[in-house]
Amino acid sequence: MALRATILRHVRVPLEATPKLQPWNGFFRSMSSHDDHITKEEVVDRVLSVVKDFPKVDPSKVTPEVHFQKDLGLDSLDTVEIVMALEEEFKLEIPDQEADKIDSLPLAIEYISNHPMSS
Amino acid sequence: MKCILSQRKGKEMGGTRGQKLSGMQKQVLSLYRGFLRAARSKSVEKCCKIESVVCLEFCRNSKEVDRKNFQYIEYLLRRGHKQLDQLRNSGTTGLSSLQLDFSK
Repeated sequence: MALRATILRHVRVPLEATPKLQPWNGFFRSMSSHDDHITKEEVVDRVLSVVKDFPKVDPSKVTPEVHFQKDLGLDSLDTVEIVMALEEEFKLEIPDQEADKIDSLPLAIEYISNHPMSS
Repeated sequence: MKCILSQRKGKEMGGTRGQKLSGMQKQVLSLYRGFLRAARSKSVEKCCKIESVVCLEFCRNSKEVDRKNFQYIEYLLRRGHKQLDQLRNSGTTGLSSLQLDFSK
């Protein structure tokens, strides 16, 4: 122990050697294998195109903020169909309790982009 | 069967934000979802046909059935679950409906 203390007192690790958090770390992260998850922009684009393709929806009304029933005039059955179409698009299976809560585009986008299995 | 439309509209006019579904409405939506999932396990052309029949049936019931007619809705739910079980059977390939008009 005494030896260890003596050595430690004399050895100095240069400050530069410690890993520093660089502001551009996020940039390199995007290249890492950990990040093959789809980006939020992609989710938004694909969700919008699925909703615009839905027969009862007026494509010109669709924005990332719309509420299915209040803004698009859909009923709850249509909402179920849209959520199912989104499941198909992103290869997901959304459990009933979660799917019942998704009633607007912001919620759908949030759920899908946070889902680890979406692709 | 689905009675949800009218109820939702009533609630929204009441100014409640973020509609809450009743237990029965959730059951109906979950049955509907079950039918759509079952339809996808069939061949593509059958799937479209099944989807249109199911959609028509649910839409029709949602408009025609009074939302307070719980007994009838429960009956429809039970019947729907039985039909869904049959549809899930891999031997079942299609679904059709028959419209009888007794008014004449």
